[in-house]
Amino acid sequence: MDYLDVANSSIVYILGGILILIVVIQSFIFLRKAYKRGLVIGMEKKKMNTAIKSSITFSIVPSIPIVIALIAMVPKLGIPFPWIRLSIIGSMQYELIAADTGAKAMGLSGLSAAGFSAQAFANVMWIMSIGIIWGLLTCILFLKKLEKGLSNQKKKDNTWLTILISSLFFGMISVFIGPVITSGSVPLYTMLSSAAVMLLFSFIVEKFKVNWLKNFALSLSMIIGMALAIFYQSLV
Amino acid sequence: MKKTYQDEMHILGRISGITVLLFIFLIPTVICLYFNIFPPFNALLKGILMICMIYIPISIAEVFTYAPMLGSSASYLVFVTGNLTNLKIPCAKMAMEQCEVKSSTEEGDIIATLSVAASSITTVIIILIGMILIKPIEPILTSSTLKPAFDNILPALFGGLGAYFIRKDWKLAVVPLAVIILISVITDISSILGIFIPIMGGISILSSRIMYKKGWLTGVKE
Repeated sequence: MDYLDVANSSIVYILGGILILIVVIQSFIFLRKAYKRGLVIGMEKKKMNTAIKSSITFSIVPSIPIVIALIAMVPKLGIPFPWIRLSIIGSMQYELIAADTGAKAMGLSGLSAAGFSAQAFANVMWIMSIGIIWGLLTCILFLKKLEKGLSNQKKKDNTWLTILISSLFFGMISVFIGPVITSGSVPLYTMLSSAAVMLLFSFIVEKFKVNWLKNFALSLSMIIGMALAIFYQSLV
Repeated sequence: MKKTYQDEMHILGRISGITVLLFIFLIPTVICLYFNIFPPFNALLKGILMICMIYIPISIAEVFTYAPMLGSSASYLVFVTGNLTNLKIPCAKMAMEQCEVKSSTEEGDIIATLSVAASSITTVIIILIGMILIKPIEPILTSSTLKPAFDNILPALFGGLGAYFIRKDWKLAVVPLAVIILISVITDISSILGIFIPIMGGISILSSRIMYKKGWLTGVKE
C-alpha cells in the first residue's frame, strides 16, 4: 500500500474534521461569551459588531497564502493532514520547517526527497504535531499568573504598562519591517506603497470623517500593495 | 461566590486547550495504530529534539509577547488557532484601534476576543474551501502572475500596519527599527525572524523604559 493512500484515507479526514469542529465551536463560545460580557459592562453593540465585521473582512486575504502552503504540502503529505495542521496552531512557515525536519530526521535530504515512505510520513506527522504545542501549554499553565502580574503592574504604574505593551508591539513589527528595508527591491516598494496608501486613508478618515473607510483601510492598503507588487515585479 | 468573567474564561480556555492538545496527539496515534505504521524511534526522537530546541523557547516567548496585547481570553484562542503574526495580531490590534479600546482593560480584552474569534472562523472556512476546491484553484493561486502578490503579502501588511502605528507613536518605534535595520545590514535574518520577535520586544521595552524615566514619552497616546 502506498503511503499516500494512508495520508489521503478517510480516517484522516474524519479526525481532522472533528478537531477543526472543536476549534470552531471554541471560537463561537468565546465570541458569544465576550459579546455578552461586553453588553453587561455597557459596550455598544455597534462597536462590537464593527470589530467582528472588520476582522472577518481583514482575515480573508491573509488566509489565501495558507491555502497556497496547503497546495505545496499536498504532494508529499496528502490533503487532510496539512489541512489539519494549517487550520490550528502553527503557521505556514512553521509547518514547512517542521515537515522538513521530520524528513531530515529520517535521513532524507528534505520533504521533497525521493524515498519518502510511510514511516517518514508517520515521523513527519508526529514532529509537526509535537513541535508547536508549547505556546498552548504555556497558556494553560501560566496565563492566569501572567494576568495577575499584569494587573499588579497596572495598579503600580498604568502609564508604563501601556507603554510596555506598545513597545512589545513595536518590537514585533520592527522584525517584519527592518529586513524588508535592507533587502530593497520589490518587497520594499510594496511595503512603501501600502504604507503610503494607509497614510492617505488615515488622512481621509480624519479630514472628511469617512468612518466606513476606517474599517477597511488596512485591508485595502494591503491589497493595493499586493497588486502593485505584481506591477513592480514586471519592472525588475 | 459567583465566578467572575475572567475566571470563567480561564476555565473555558484551559478545558478547550487541553481538549485540543489531547486531540493533537490523538490524530497521529490513531493513524499509526490504524495502519500499523510507526516512525523509527531514533528518527522520531531526533526530529522532536531538533524542532523543540527551536520552538520551545520561541513559543514560550510568544505567549509573553502577545498575551499582554490581547488579554487572556483571546490568548487561549490564538494559541489554539495559530497564524499569529501574519493574521491574528494585526487583526486584533486594528480592531482595538477602531473601537478605541486599550490593551489590558476589560473592553480591550473583549474586542480582542471578538476579533480573533471572528478571524479564526474566517480562516478555517477559507482553508476548508481551499481544500475542497484544491484542484480548480491550484493553477490560479500558484500562477506566476499572482506569485509576486502573495510573495509580498507580509511587506504589504506590515507597510500599512506599521505606517499607521509608527505615525501615532513614532517615539516608541525609532529604537527597535534602527536596531533591526542595523542587524539586517550585518546579517540576513529572514529565515529566523521568529527568534528576533522576543529579542526586539526586549530591546524595545528597554529603550522605552529609558525614555519613560527621562520623561520623553509624555506625548505617547496609548
